[in-house]
Amino acid sequence: MRFLHLIVVAALVSAAVYVYKIKFDATLQAERIAKLSTDLRRMHDTNASLRAEWSQLDNPARIQRLADRHLKLRPIEAAQFDALDNLPDRAAPAAPAETPDPIANMIEKQTADYPTGSTRKPVAAR
Amino acid sequence: MNDDASPAAPATGAAPRPAPAMPWHRRFVQALLYGRNVDRDRKARARLGLAVFGFGVIYAIIAAKLVIFAIAPDSHAARRGSSDAVGTARPNIIDRNGELLATDVKRPSLFAEPRRIYDVDVDIELLTSIFPDLDTKDLRQRLGNTRRGFTWLKRDITPQQQAEIKRVGIPAIGFVTENKRVYPNGPEVSHELGYVTVENTGVSGIEKWLDDQGLLELHKAGFATDRQQEPVVLSLDLRVQHVLRDELVAAKEKFRAKSAAGVIYNVRTGEVIAMASEPDFDPNFGREAAERDITQAKINGPGFMGETFNRLTNGLFEMGSTYKAFTIAMALDSGRYNLNSLVDVRSPLHYGHHTIHDYHAMHRPISVSEVFIYSSNIGAAMLARSIGVSAHQAFLRRFGQLDRLKTELPESREPMYPKHWAEVNTATIAFGHGISVEPLQAVMGVAALMNGGILIPPTFLKRSEAQASALGTRVIKPETSVMMRYLMRLNAETGAHGTATKADVPGYYVGAKTGTAEKVFGGHYIKKRLMTDTMAVLPADDPRYLVFIMLDEPQGLKEDGYFATAGMNAVPTAARVIARAAPLLGIEPRFGLPTPDKQILMASRLTQ
Repeated sequence: MRFLHLIVVAALVSAAVYVYKIKFDATLQAERIAKLSTDLRRMHDTNASLRAEWSQLDNPARIQRLADRHLKLRPIEAAQFDALDNLPDRAAPAAPAETPDPIANMIEKQTADYPTGSTRKPVAAR
Repeated sequence: MNDDASPAAPATGAAPRPAPAMPWHRRFVQALLYGRNVDRDRKARARLGLAVFGFGVIYAIIAAKLVIFAIAPDSHAARRGSSDAVGTARPNIIDRNGELLATDVKRPSLFAEPRRIYDVDVDIELLTSIFPDLDTKDLRQRLGNTRRGFTWLKRDITPQQQAEIKRVGIPAIGFVTENKRVYPNGPEVSHELGYVTVENTGVSGIEKWLDDQGLLELHKAGFATDRQQEPVVLSLDLRVQHVLRDELVAAKEKFRAKSAAGVIYNVRTGEVIAMASEPDFDPNFGREAAERDITQAKINGPGFMGETFNRLTNGLFEMGSTYKAFTIAMALDSGRYNLNSLVDVRSPLHYGHHTIHDYHAMHRPISVSEVFIYSSNIGAAMLARSIGVSAHQAFLRRFGQLDRLKTELPESREPMYPKHWAEVNTATIAFGHGISVEPLQAVMGVAALMNGGILIPPTFLKRSEAQASALGTRVIKPETSVMMRYLMRLNAETGAHGTATKADVPGYYVGAKTGTAEKVFGGHYIKKRLMTDTMAVLPADDPRYLVFIMLDEPQGLKEDGYFATAGMNAVPTAARVIARAAPLLGIEPRFGLPTPDKQILMASRLTQ
C-alpha cells in the first residue's frame, strides 16, 4: 500500500512538474512566435521599401542619365548583331590527321617505351 | 500513514482497535501531534479523500483550460498580430519581367485624440515646431473640438519626424502604421497604373481595375493584408516602355507637338508591351496632377487633355490614311479585288458640296496596291463604295471599330461615327475621315490585319499565345493578311513620296503605313493643325510587334521644308523607337532579304 502511495505521489508530483514545464514552454514558444512574427513583419516591410528603392535606382531613365554622363556608349545597332551560324568555322588543323608526323611519332614511341615520372604505370612495370 | 504492524485492520472497523505496540518515543510524539485516543486511520482516510478531491478539481481545471486553449488559439498572439495590419494593403504590380512597378511601403501617420488633450496651445506649438508646414488655424480647429475622439493630423510622416515626436512626448497624439503606395519608376509608367487616394483606393488605371475586381470590398472589410495577395503581372516591359517614352518626349520637344503618344503591341497575343501618352504624370503625385488638370481645363475650356488624360484609350481621333489599311483589306477579302485590280482615280469624287481628291493626283488607273502605297483617297473611297455601305459598316464592326473598346483600364470612350451612315460617309471613312476611334482600337484592328486575320482583344495583363488564340475571332482570311503584310512592307520599302520609307530600320524588315489627318474645329478641317500617326509592323514577313506613334499638331522643321506630315515626324520617331526597342523585344536582325513579293507573297504560297 505504502509503495503504491509513493508511486502515486511521485507520479502526481512529476505530472505537475511536467504540466508546469509544458505550460512554461508553451508561453516561451508563444512569445518566440510573437517576436518572430514581429521580426518577420518588420523585415517584410523593410524588404518592401528596399525593393522599392532598388527599383527606383534601377529605373531605366536613371540608368540612361548616368550612362549619358559617365560612359561613351551608344545604343546598339542592328548591324552589330550577328547569328552564331555566321561565325567562321574553327581553323582547320595545321596538318591532316592521316599524314605522317615524324615528331609526334617519335614522342608517342618514347612514351610507350620509356616510363616517365608522371604516370603510375611504370611503377607496376618495374 | 498506516503502520505495517496493522495491515489486517478492517476497513470499516467501528470498534476501537487495540493500541499497537509502539516504541515509547513515537507514542509520545503522536500524542503531542494528534492527542490521545484519536482514530488516525479514519482521519487519514478523510484527509486522503480531501486531497484526492482537491487534486481532482485542480486537474479538472487544468484539463478544461487546456481544452479552451486548444479550441481558441492563443488570443494573446492574435491580438498582437492584427494590431498593425491596417487592411488597406494592395498587391504589388510588376512588369512582364518581374520589375517592380508599384508596391506598398509602411509609413507612420500621425493622429490625435482631441478628447484627451489637456492644453491645445501647447500641443499646437509643439506640433508646428516639428511640422512647420502644418497650418495653425486648421490645427486649432481640429484639436479644439474636444468632443471628437479622433482626427488625422498628418499622413505619411518620416521616421525622423516620428522619432522627434516620441522624444518631445506630446500627449493624446499617436501613430498608426499605414500602407503608402509607391511607384518606383515615377512618370515612366503612368496612365497604365493610374494612382491611388490617400486611403489607398484606386482612382484610375490598373489600380482602379484592381479595386473593381473585389479589392475594394476587402479594404472595406479590413481584410486586405499584404501576405495573401499575389502580385499582378502586367504585359508591359519596363525597358521597352522607357525607350518608347524617352523617344516620345524627345519627339514632342523636337516637333513642338502638343502631345505625343505611342503603343508597342504584340500582334500575336494582344498584349500592350509599352504605352505612353505625353504629357504624363508621376503616379506618386497623381492627386496633384489631377488637380493641375482641373485648373488647366478651366483655363483652356472643353476638349483640353491634361497630364492624367490617356490619349490612347481615352481620346478619340481620326486616324487618317492609316485607316486605308482596313479599306484595302476589305476589298481584298471580298474576293472581288486582287492586288493588281485597277481602280480609276483620275477624277475627284463629288458628293454634294464635298469633293474627295488626292494630295498627289494620279493621271492613270492604278492598282489596289498602288492605292495603298500612293495613299490615294479617291482609290480608297471607290473601293469602299463598290463594296457597299452596309458591308463596310459590318466589316468595321467585326474589327471592333464601332463599339467601345473594353480593356482593363477603366477609361474608355465610345467611338464617334455618323448615325446616318450614307454613301458619302463610307467614302470618307474609307480614308479615315469621319470616324473617330481610340488609337488603341485602331492598333487592335491593324494587328488583326497583320497576325493572320485573328482579332484579339488588347490586354494590359500578361497573356500567353494559347490564351490569346482562345479569345481571338477570325475576321479576315489568312491570305488577305498575307497580302496586307506585303503591302505594309512594300510601302515601307518603296512608298510613294517617301512617306513611310524612313520607318525602314535596316535589319528588321519593317512594314509601315502613315496617316495625316487635319483636325476638326467647329466642323471644319484645319490645314495647319495636323494629327500625324504611323503604324509600323516588324518583322513584316512574320509579324510580332506593332509600333504605333501619334503626334498631335507637330510643327514642320526647317530642314524638312516646314512640312509637318507624318513622314516628317511620326515616322522617324517610330524608326528611332524600333531601332532601340527591337533588340529588347528579341527580334533578330536579318540582312539581305529578298524583295517583299518573294519574301512574303511567294513564301506564303509555298507553305500553303
